Amino acid sequence: MELRAFYQEHYRAILGTTSVLTLIVMWELLLTFVIPLNPFFFTKPSLIAVAFKEQVIHGALWSDLVVSSRAFLWGFSLAILFGIPTGAFMGWRRRAEYTLDPFLTALYASPLVALAPLMIVVFGVGLLAKAMLVFLLSVFPFIFNTFAGVRSTDRLLINVVRSFGGKERDLYLKVIFPSTLPYIAAGARIALGRGLVGIIVGEFYAASEGIGFAISRFGDTYKLPEMFAGILVLMIGAVVMTEGMRKLEAFLAPWKTSQQSR
Amino acid sequence: MPPFIQSRNISVVFKPKNREPVTALNDFNLEVAKGEFVSIVGPSGCGKSTFLNILLGLIKPDTGEMQLNGAPITGPSQERAMVFQEFGLLPWRTVAANVELGLELKGIAAAQRAERAGELIKLVGLSGFQNHYPHELSGGMKQRVGLARALATEPDVLLMDEPFAALDAQTRDLMQAELLQIWEQSKKTVLFVTHSIEEAAYLSDRVIVMTARPGRTKEILQIHLPRPRDYEMRLTPEFNDIKATIWNTLKDELTARSEYGA
Repeated sequence: MELRAFYQEHYRAILGTTSVLTLIVMWELLLTFVIPLNPFFFTKPSLIAVAFKEQVIHGALWSDLVVSSRAFLWGFSLAILFGIPTGAFMGWRRRAEYTLDPFLTALYASPLVALAPLMIVVFGVGLLAKAMLVFLLSVFPFIFNTFAGVRSTDRLLINVVRSFGGKERDLYLKVIFPSTLPYIAAGARIALGRGLVGIIVGEFYAASEGIGFAISRFGDTYKLPEMFAGILVLMIGAVVMTEGMRKLEAFLAPWKTSQQSR
Repeated sequence: MPPFIQSRNISVVFKPKNREPVTALNDFNLEVAKGEFVSIVGPSGCGKSTFLNILLGLIKPDTGEMQLNGAPITGPSQERAMVFQEFGLLPWRTVAANVELGLELKGIAAAQRAERAGELIKLVGLSGFQNHYPHELSGGMKQRVGLARALATEPDVLLMDEPFAALDAQTRDLMQAELLQIWEQSKKTVLFVTHSIEEAAYLSDRVIVMTARPGRTKEILQIHLPRPRDYEMRLTPEFNDIKATIWNTLKDELTARSEYGA
C-alpha cells in the first residue's frame, strides 16, 4: 500500500491542499452552473486568475506593491526601533513601566485605525501618513512583547552569570537579550498583521497609489476580478512574511521550537 | 593562620514586602579547612542555601562576616563557583558555550576557552555532546555540564546546592561517585548542601547538621570512613551507624519545624 504510506507521511499537506482546492472548485462550479453569474456583483476564480495574470504582466500591480511596501517598511522599521528599546526600558525600570503603562494599555486596546484621518490631517496624503499609521499599529506588540520577555527572564540565569563575575552589561548581553529575542520575534508576527491593516486602511482612506488604493478603486468601479487579484497579492504577501517570521523565531530560539504553538 | 573559610556570627534576615521578616540564619559559625569536603544538612528553609549564596557573594549578611583565606567576601569572584540545583544552563548556548561562560566573563581568548572547555567536557564524560543544546540532554547530563562549567574557571571552592536533587536515584549514585573521583584528583574545597543523609555521609569529611529556622550549627559530625570511598562502603554497619547518628541529630529539628505548620 504505497499510497497509504504516502498519505501517512504527508497527510497534513495533503489535507490542507485538498481543502483549498475544493473551495476554489466549489466556488467556480457554484457560480458557473448554480447561480447565474452577474459579473457586476460576483466573480469567480477563473476570472480572478485572468485578472491576476493581466495585472502581473501589464497592470500597475508591481508599482502599487512597491508603493505600499515602502510605506510599510518605513513604519515597521520605526516600530522596531522605537518599540524594542521602550519595552526593554519598561522591563528594567519599574518606574518607567508604571509611568507609561496607562497610555500604552489604552492605545493598545483601542482600534487605532480610527486615527487614520488624524494622520492624514497631520502628515498629508502620501508615504508619511501611511508609514505613521503602520507604525502606530505595529509598535505595541513590539513594546509589550519585549517588556514581557525582559520581565520573564529567569532569575536563576541572572544569578548564574553574576556568580561567575558578570557585570550589569553581561547580564543584558548574555541573559536578558537572548532570552527576550524569541518574545520579540513572536511580537513581530502580531505586529505584521496589524501593520498590514494600517497600510491598507491608510490607502483606502486617502491615497492615489498602492495596493490598498487599487483594491478600493477596483471595488468602487465594480471590477471585482481585479479587486480580488489585489486581495490575493495581499494574502500572498502576508503569508510569506508570517511564515518568514515563524522561521526566524525557530532560528532564534531552537530550544523553544518543540513547545511552540501557532 | 586563619581558617580557609570562616563564617563568623553570620545573621541574615529577609524582609519580604507585606510579610513578616524571616530570619534565615542566626549567628552562624563555621570553619572549613582547605581541601575539605563538608556537607550541610538541615530542615527545609533553615538557611543552607542562603549560606552558600553568601559564600558565593550574591547575598550580603546583615551581621557577621564571611572570610575566605583571611579576606572578607564582598562579591562574586571566580575563586568560588556554584553548581546549581536547577542546573542554571543558558538554553541558547551549546554545552561547550555553557562550559565556557566563566572563562568568557574572565576575558580568556576564544581558542583557549575552547581547549579548556574540551578538557572539562571530557572530564565529566560528555565528549561528543559539545554542540548539543541543554534541552537535548537528560537531567544527569545537564548537571555534568553544570559541574564542568563550575570547574572551568579553576575555583578553589566548589559550592554545590543540592546538585543531584533533581536526578533519579541511579543517576544520582553515578554522579556522586564521579564527583568524589574529581574531588580526589583536584582537592578542591567543597561545600555541599543536601537533604539526603546518605549522600552527606557518603561524600563528606564532615557533616554540619543545622537547626530549624533560624538556622545555626547544631552539631558537626566527623565522618571517619577511609578514602577513596566506594559504593560497597554504603552497605556496611559502620555506614548505617553514621546515618543513624545524623538522623537522630536531625530528627528533632524536623519535628520542631512541623510545629510551625511549615
